[in-house]
Amino acid sequence: MEELFICRCEEVTRQELEQAIADGAISMNELKRWTRAGMGLCQGKTCAKQVMALLAQKTAQSPAAVKPATTRNPVRPMQISYMTKEAE
Amino acid sequence: MPEIKVKNHRVIKHPILSEDAPCDVSIFVDGKEIPAKAGEPIAAALLASDIHIFRQTAKKGYPRGIFCGIGRCTDCVMTVDGQPNVRTCVTPVRAGMKVETQIGLGRWAE
Amino acid sequence: MRKVQAIVIGAGPAGLAACIEIAKAGGKAVLIDENAKPGGQLFKQIHKFFGSREHRAGVRGYDIGSQLLKETEELGVEVFLDSPVYGLFQDPQGIMVSYMHEGQEKALLGEKVILATGAAENALTFPGSTLPGVMGAGCAQTMINVNRVLPGKKVIMVGSGNVGLIVSYQLMQAGADVAALIEAAPSIGGYGVHAGKIRRAGVPILVGHTIKRAMGKDQVEAVEIVALDEGFQEIPGTGQVMACDTVCIAVGLTPLTELAWLAGCEFTFIPSLGGHIPIHDENMATTVPGLYVAGDIAGAEEASTAMEEGRLAGIAAAEALGLYDEITAAPLKGSVWTRMDALRTGPFGQKRFDAKAQMLETAKGGKE
Repeated sequence: MEELFICRCEEVTRQELEQAIADGAISMNELKRWTRAGMGLCQGKTCAKQVMALLAQKTAQSPAAVKPATTRNPVRPMQISYMTKEAE
Repeated sequence: MPEIKVKNHRVIKHPILSEDAPCDVSIFVDGKEIPAKAGEPIAAALLASDIHIFRQTAKKGYPRGIFCGIGRCTDCVMTVDGQPNVRTCVTPVRAGMKVETQIGLGRWAE
Repeated sequence: MRKVQAIVIGAGPAGLAACIEIAKAGGKAVLIDENAKPGGQLFKQIHKFFGSREHRAGVRGYDIGSQLLKETEELGVEVFLDSPVYGLFQDPQGIMVSYMHEGQEKALLGEKVILATGAAENALTFPGSTLPGVMGAGCAQTMINVNRVLPGKKVIMVGSGNVGLIVSYQLMQAGADVAALIEAAPSIGGYGVHAGKIRRAGVPILVGHTIKRAMGKDQVEAVEIVALDEGFQEIPGTGQVMACDTVCIAVGLTPLTELAWLAGCEFTFIPSLGGHIPIHDENMATTVPGLYVAGDIAGAEEASTAMEEGRLAGIAAAEALGLYDEITAAPLKGSVWTRMDALRTGPFGQKRFDAKAQMLETAKGGKE
């Protein structure tokens, strides 16, 4: 296994992320949509920090300037059926 | 170091902690019965039976096992009682549970 | 919707301490946690804590956990377990907290909300890093100390901070063999006391080394490690293969901040505290009215500081609720600050002290 999987869920490699950045991605939202890194079951909880660091390095941005992708609820995994039930 | 006793990967005697409680239930992993403790995470019971491969990934078919152990990374998901994507590191064991190695995104039981 | 004075999210040391303070002030706090058991990561900490006597130094983590649980129970704090919070919404009357419980979506309205969600371990990427057998050091620690199961027999530990050092020793206490502890930096990251213990047990500590790859067909069978130069570049010809069945990753923590982002908190970036941190003032109040943070979400530190921050946030929230007047609250908060300052001393504590001082400056300035 030689691949460098940064996003473990969607099996996105460092190489794919670097390519997307070379193609012009400058934000986490763009990288996420272009590569699916952070769109898997864990929703980027494991890879975001590494992807942000890579993005900062490759685009010569300060790490402080790279913000996470937009956070939306639900922030924890849930079944759609939960939302269809009446809240108490 | 004081006496340490490990049996079947379970730490029975520990230099600081009290003696470990014995297994009290069984679960079924891909049809095979293994001993477990009610209430422990499913992943703990699997590791105690030397099972480390919990699933195969969707794209590459690579093996995965436990990684974060706190219910965040979802690497340890398996199909449990017909429901796919169950995080085995935070889901407690119940007697007779049916746990299956998950292939890709898994399938719901009919 | 039910409305309560305070909702605390996360039942680790910070969250428990916050609830205790609110209840002591005569307030009603509801504690929500996604896990089946409260205590956060305290119950896997079987080592004795550092600090002075009032920080319960010399007491093991799990005993501190039991003590906090006993206090919350005696004070009648309402605790919802198995209840992951998935959303926060600002409301004219406070903050709405949405969570799941027993297959249902539920919500509570809190006049004040304290986020004590903790932190997660950082991941590391190398060829083979997804193989079964590669796991967080904290994951292995939970397995051996809480579940009493050995994840493997022969372990390579990556990272020499306190987590890497302590978990290495605890793996040995559980009967595992730690083949080596490797550290990319030229010196050990954690306390000398912890490093000495594992050195005396015969574990080689290889500073200036990193893991190049994990090898194995379906699970880890060996790793290749290499030496690094001062620029953290591999020194050719230094590769060595070591047999192992487990690789533990202990390369720092990242605060779990999703709920704070969702709530619209302003953030600042402090690498030594784990990265993006919600800006908070001397009362642990964020930039969102009524929303507080405490513990690792406010910057990854230690359980002892997390407890103190929880107390501080609890007292401050109680004051904001009108349960304490300013004259009563000031000395209570002052004594927490005295204890926290004492915990943030020494070569490691000083760095955290400085980082927190920087945070307070940022909070005063409003923005980064």
